Amino acid sequence: MRIGLLTEGGYPYVSGDARLWCDRLVRGLGQHEFDVYALSRSERQEEEGWVPLPPQVCRVRTAPLWSAEEDGVVYGRRARRRFVEHYGALADVLCAGGEGPRAGDARSGGVSAAEADRFGSALYGLAELARDEGGLAGALRSETAVRALERACRAPGALRTARTARVPELLTVAAHLERALRPLSLDWYEGDSLGAVDLCHAASGGPAALPGLLARHFFGVPLLVTEYGVRLRTHYLAAGDAPPAVRALLAAFHGRLAAEIYARAEVITPGNAHARRWQEHCGADRAKLRTVYPGMDASRFSEVGEGPDSADPETLVWVGRVEPTKDLVSLLHAFAEIRKEEPKTRLRIVGAPSAGEGEAYLGHCKALAAQLFPDEADGLHAVGDNPVSFEEIGGPELPTSADAYAAGAVTVLSSVVEGFPISLVESMLCGRATVSTDVGAVVEVIGGTGLVVPPRNPRALAEACVALLRDPERRERLGAAARARALELFTVEQNVAAFHGIYLEIVARCPVRRVVLDETGEPLPFAVPAEAHVPGRWTGPAVRLMARGRPGWAAGPPVRATSRVAVEGAR
Amino acid sequence: MSGLGELDRPGTPDSPGGWDERSREWAAGQDDVPEQPASGPVTDVLGPEVPGPDVPGSDVPGPDRSVVPPARPRRTAVDPVKALMHRHRELCERAVDPLEIAAGLEAHGVTDRTAARFRHRDVFSLAEELYARVPRDEDAPSRTTVPSAPRARADWALLALLPGALGAATVAGARFTEGQLRLIVAAVGTLAVALAVRAALSRGPLRLADRTARPTGGWTCWLIAYAALGDALLRAALTGGPDAPPTAAPAGVLALALSCAPALWCAHLFTARARRRLAASRGLEEYATSVQPLLLGTFALYLAALTGLLALCGAGLGEPVAYAQSLTLGALLLLARLLAAHGFTHAPARVLAVTAGAEALALAAVFAARLPGCDVLAVPVETLVTAWGTGAVPALACGTGALTLLIHSSRTLTRASAHATPDASC
Repeated sequence: MRIGLLTEGGYPYVSGDARLWCDRLVRGLGQHEFDVYALSRSERQEEEGWVPLPPQVCRVRTAPLWSAEEDGVVYGRRARRRFVEHYGALADVLCAGGEGPRAGDARSGGVSAAEADRFGSALYGLAELARDEGGLAGALRSETAVRALERACRAPGALRTARTARVPELLTVAAHLERALRPLSLDWYEGDSLGAVDLCHAASGGPAALPGLLARHFFGVPLLVTEYGVRLRTHYLAAGDAPPAVRALLAAFHGRLAAEIYARAEVITPGNAHARRWQEHCGADRAKLRTVYPGMDASRFSEVGEGPDSADPETLVWVGRVEPTKDLVSLLHAFAEIRKEEPKTRLRIVGAPSAGEGEAYLGHCKALAAQLFPDEADGLHAVGDNPVSFEEIGGPELPTSADAYAAGAVTVLSSVVEGFPISLVESMLCGRATVSTDVGAVVEVIGGTGLVVPPRNPRALAEACVALLRDPERRERLGAAARARALELFTVEQNVAAFHGIYLEIVARCPVRRVVLDETGEPLPFAVPAEAHVPGRWTGPAVRLMARGRPGWAAGPPVRATSRVAVEGAR
Repeated sequence: MSGLGELDRPGTPDSPGGWDERSREWAAGQDDVPEQPASGPVTDVLGPEVPGPDVPGSDVPGPDRSVVPPARPRRTAVDPVKALMHRHRELCERAVDPLEIAAGLEAHGVTDRTAARFRHRDVFSLAEELYARVPRDEDAPSRTTVPSAPRARADWALLALLPGALGAATVAGARFTEGQLRLIVAAVGTLAVALAVRAALSRGPLRLADRTARPTGGWTCWLIAYAALGDALLRAALTGGPDAPPTAAPAGVLALALSCAPALWCAHLFTARARRRLAASRGLEEYATSVQPLLLGTFALYLAALTGLLALCGAGLGEPVAYAQSLTLGALLLLARLLAAHGFTHAPARVLAVTAGAEALALAAVFAARLPGCDVLAVPVETLVTAWGTGAVPALACGTGALTLLIHSSRTLTRASAHATPDASC
């Protein structure tokens, strides 16, 4: 089957966001054809080029989001009236306020549903206009657009913040909307481009899913949206210091766009429970949500995970990117408590400082460590050493991250803010017992296979660490359980298999109904037989999923934990 | 604050903080006046039982500690949400909807389990309560991000003087040389002036907004060439010539080259003032009416400067100056460039083409009238020339063009969208 992979600032660009995941997905599903439709985020990104593409990527079409090409089309009277009608409706919906992003929520029933409907029809109206006449980029920047925005803001019943919008704010909103609606002017919505795919898979929400929405509108192509980070939330966090009117209108736009995407998508796959909650809150139907955890390459860690425990039983390891949200200060204080109980313990902090404030924070932590723990030596004549060491992966002692995890008996995670904790998953894959703070998706990732303490609580962290340090059996048990859990949930194979299943399910449930025309241009009755929609036809005859590196008896879609662990053990 | 919620809760009879979400909403709806942190009634109710750290202001300040959700036993917490609200006051006050607060809280490490401590199902409902409870001064003057008015910069301001200086040097050089050398000086000087004009216009306020705009350089060159040579050629053509190459009238063209500087300065004045008014205006109509006099004033300023330069050049070169055609041409070129610089390239290109075409047509008609049986063709031009002189042809053409562009620009350049900075997105 032919899958249109929609990305924004991601695959196939070298500096793309989710390129690793997309690359694994495309390579893992070699039996399908992939058409990549990529929106690039900056000129630099375009210049940096693409990652090497596997042969199953049949075509790549790219478009810049950072610049608008004016095609020089000036609207006639009728087209302008069409534009004013749709853009005005869009502006009205944005200014109407009310329960904006929660269109599907039970609390805001009929009114919001009608508003969402108006938003959708305005959006598709603009897209149809751009398809018929072109010239949408110029029109979105024109005075007509700003005037429509002003009218909507001054209308009775508009948001209070919207009413305070003055001319500069209106111009800012119009410019942002023009930028956000650039995918509408693309030439991707033809029968031989997005119209020819069987399924659109948007690798993120927001602008990337917009072409998918339009493909669904024009051709009925089903849409699958994967969100590892919720786009709407990113927008809120990035909104910056704009005036309230601008933020209110743009928040309304992005909220409604998200609601529209969630409403039209056949299946939405959040990357974790946190993203799932946001999607549910923004109106996504629960029946459409399937959590698909991001996959990690388990082979890098199998040697450490499977091998005998070579770790120093008195060493704690922290691995990650050094930045203030990781709260290393709290970890150092906890370590001071640990040293009171277990004086021989050492702490290895492995990680590079992040760009920006990371350097300063690392310096602060080093100073604190030197202050808290004086250098100590074995005897009178030995050179002293600090029990806390700061290292980076890639040095002679720790060439890979697996070695870093292998060096410690217990892995500690002390963050106060965390999304999906990659380092925790890696540590689980290494079969290490973990102590982590209860933030982000930590509890969801760790399940019952590690200790979880409240954030910013050094004493609790210390107690948990001491408990694990004193109990090697428990450590081993937890480590084994953690590795089993990670292999079940967070491997590339499960990720690819999950998407494969979802693709088949979507194509089986809502196939694209294409009308086949004969030579004279008349629709050909019964040209597409009913069997065409059976998913079995689409898969290749000989290729079986996951046939590589796996025994034949485990070739089916692996769902059960037992079989998965058995597979890993058989490697 | 009502004591009802407290009475309703059987589990916490001795704590006024024992409100559930519903009663809190109800109470918040009843008295809109939001409580200030550590205000009188709250401490009064609890009296000595209030432990020190419960007063939100007494917490350790600092960016790191400010995000600690209060993890105290329920009994001592008066109103934990209020403490949270105090910590995230700035976030709550600037938020435009509850989701923004939710996103901000999560970025500070608040999870659903933290929200459960505030007796909320999840972060979203906690954020909704915060959003509802924080007083929001809607009518406060918003911090408007003024599109920064372009600063006058030395490079283009000085570069604007270059065409005039080169033009003056060329005219002087041509005056003091003879024969072939004169021709060479004139040709080199013209080329230098053209390059200087190009350089002066490629930066500063008359820079083209859109690189892909249709080129108008050819028409402009033709119009200027006509201003230099056209009158002499037309006169010669009408009298049966030309027998010799027409002599150029340099005063008008020199004044135009010199007027590059006032043109750029006027354009800068217009752009800067228009941007400044953008920040101050509330509505689009209001803005348009306030920019219109500015546009006309700037335009008049340029015409005055050009008139002065023309008089100066005429006096300096000792030649009669054709005021009408030079003024109309200058006006036409300024408006065309100003429009193009603000992104309206369509109309200026058309008008310049039509004007240049009209001038060419007048010349062509006079020459075509020499063919047998085509005498009629020259009649309009001859009538015009006998009535007002040869300068009437370009003056009429350029004047019509300039007037058209003036009307057009008084509609388009007064729009707010014409003055939006291209990177105004956030």
